[in-house]
Amino acid sequence: MSKASNAEHDAHRPNVKAFMIVFGALLCLTLLTTAVSRMHLEHAAAISVGLLIAVVKASLVAAVFMHLWGEDRLIHRILYAVAFFAVFLVSLPLMDAHLLTPLKTDRAPVASQHPDEGK
Amino acid sequence: MTTTAATANPDTHTGITNAKLGVWLFLCSEVMLFATLFTTYIVLRLSATTWPWGWDALNVPLGTLNTAILITSSVTIVMAYARAYDKDLKGFRFWMAATLFLSFAFLVVKGFEYHGEFSKGIWPSTSVFYATYFTLTGLHACHIIGGIIVNSTLLRMSYKKECWEHPLFLGRVEGAGLYWHFVDIVWIFLFPALYLI
Repeated sequence: MSKASNAEHDAHRPNVKAFMIVFGALLCLTLLTTAVSRMHLEHAAAISVGLLIAVVKASLVAAVFMHLWGEDRLIHRILYAVAFFAVFLVSLPLMDAHLLTPLKTDRAPVASQHPDEGK
Repeated sequence: MTTTAATANPDTHTGITNAKLGVWLFLCSEVMLFATLFTTYIVLRLSATTWPWGWDALNVPLGTLNTAILITSSVTIVMAYARAYDKDLKGFRFWMAATLFLSFAFLVVKGFEYHGEFSKGIWPSTSVFYATYFTLTGLHACHIIGGIIVNSTLLRMSYKKECWEHPLFLGRVEGAGLYWHFVDIVWIFLFPALYLI
């Protein structure tokens, strides 16, 4: 193997030490999110904390285990596009719930439109 | 396409192997699938008059155990990739077998959870919450089974010299690892959404 290919080989070498650090962090964050859920936080705060910890955990897995940290720019661009559409899709019902639905109706009649409701 | 990308892997037009690009595009479609299901979850939850707290409705200790199992399996598969990278056949087999063991452990724990719910007379038709729970966790379990099939195939292939020494073998292990980490990420979001908040 030439010196150049050796250097390229080493540059892509999996970093076992980083894997172990992330593994420890993920286990700690799992225990933290479970413990926080027992604290009976206000509903909005509980969702925000739970979502924040999940995003941190997912980012660690994607960056280190999936090698996105230092991955080719093409992969990053594809993922930015997908993230945009996924966030847009998920935000649609939230926008509806907070901006449109309160103007038209309240929650109870919306729920009672389901045929099984009230059985 | 950047010049850097093209020189990173001169055998391809994009600088990335076709298999790796294909796996990433497949994962993108999976992201949209689960984003659709999460959107449905939000719509149902926002329009419901009541929504049970996960601690009251589900077995949170078993869910936490499964989270730890899946995170550990993410480490074992990345260790299998590291061993394959160094052409360490024994190490690769050990870590891939550990990944498979943890995958089955996840399904067994999930089976205990489902059994506990069925024995209490809880079914997907019981409520909107349980319909959502069984749909999301059931689809995730199907992805675990898919990962088991792929990973066990790679483990079997490693016993054939021509497969182990094939130049594409490392890329196949990397692709399987990417898929497995994605399944882990999905669970990282499912766990708090269903069990904790």
